[in-house]
Amino acid sequence: MAGTGPPNSQDDAALIARLRAKGEDAANAMADLYDRYSGIVYGVALRVLADTTAAEDVLQEVFLQLWRRPQVFDAERGRLAPWLAVIARNRAIDVVRKRPQQEDIDELPISSGVDLEDGSARRLALEKVRSVLASLPQEQRQALEMAFFEGMTHTEIARKTGEPLGTVKTRIRSALLAVRKAFR
Amino acid sequence: MKDHAQFAEDLALYAMGTLEDQERPELEAHLGTCGECRRELEALRADLALLALSATGPQPPQRSRDRLKEAISEEQREMTESADASAVYRLHPRRLTLVPAAIAAVLAITSLGLLLEIQRLKDANVRLAVNLREEQRQSAHAKEVLAMLTDPNAQHMTLVAAKPASPAHIKTIYQKDKGHILLLASNLAPIPDDKVYQLWILPATGGPPVPCGTFPINSKGNGMMLDTTEAPGVEAKGFAVTVEPVGGSKTPTLPIMYAPAG
Repeated sequence: MAGTGPPNSQDDAALIARLRAKGEDAANAMADLYDRYSGIVYGVALRVLADTTAAEDVLQEVFLQLWRRPQVFDAERGRLAPWLAVIARNRAIDVVRKRPQQEDIDELPISSGVDLEDGSARRLALEKVRSVLASLPQEQRQALEMAFFEGMTHTEIARKTGEPLGTVKTRIRSALLAVRKAFR
Repeated sequence: MKDHAQFAEDLALYAMGTLEDQERPELEAHLGTCGECRRELEALRADLALLALSATGPQPPQRSRDRLKEAISEEQREMTESADASAVYRLHPRRLTLVPAAIAAVLAITSLGLLLEIQRLKDANVRLAVNLREEQRQSAHAKEVLAMLTDPNAQHMTLVAAKPASPAHIKTIYQKDKGHILLLASNLAPIPDDKVYQLWILPATGGPPVPCGTFPINSKGNGMMLDTTEAPGVEAKGFAVTVEPVGGSKTPTLPIMYAPAG
């Protein structure tokens, strides 16, 4: 798998088209996509699993899904990064909770409205999200991270934190809305 | 019956896949009739994608790239063989040009059905082969860990926090000849998102610390790492853990956070 061409030499849609063609060039397109996005997939999986080996397994699984079924991805500009990030998070949570894969990867339309295809734009977005998270009240951030990065239900979070169920739900939603507001 | 605002709060949990099973049917029924909630669900999924991206930072090791490359090459090879087999079958109907047209049509349809079935079986075979390889790889991995745990020559060490009265505890197992290191950490102190913990070998020769892998911790301060050093054979007098920028460092950033007990 040789990663031909410099980073971002082709946009995601063109790389996905080469994947779908399934020709001899498909493996090169896959290499380019891997070089562009493996850090995102691995980072998310590692955050959830806190285990380098398990995160590598999720990384492998996510990219093999993309390789086998590139047709399920709607290659609109900027969508591949968030799609891969969410697939990786969901798969890692499935591993944590020792359950089979929960959703079909076709059923995850994600349109953030933020262009995440360009590396520098992605870095800016990443810094912005981290900044928002850092500015959240501790209990809001904790509830959001327990739900998202640990896959805990609100009942489990309420039991662990000793807070009422409704409070946990409100905190999670408020934290997410704060993230959204920062990108408006 | 919940009101619209209560459904809005459930939507965030639903988007994360963490809504309790007993609450899902009611929300899904509401989603079927409420366009506003469907749009909000899409917006929440986009918010979550941004949240997921916040974990970007650590880079996977080269072996992950090699592993994917190998899996893809194998699938390509299997598919090529599958296509060749199908081509052989496609030749058969051509031999039937002299038989009555109706029989030829029936046979053609039957052949097509068989071809599709053969293709389906081939695809299933490819998937099974890939799964088998994955199982074998995981089994080999488990054996590697077990070998480390039972190797009488492996060096076991316990690291504790430099600050007293910390519950933090790190266990390292090091196979010098192979350069394999297994690390199990518990109750480590939280660190900022743009930082990671990194393990170092302190050489017995007194040379500079040898960088090993970085490892994340979860919200409980627990983490695990199985790493192979770039220079096997280094005799270790101890290990140390520091906090480094995401991606790791070539030289340790002081202070040392965790060091051998005693």
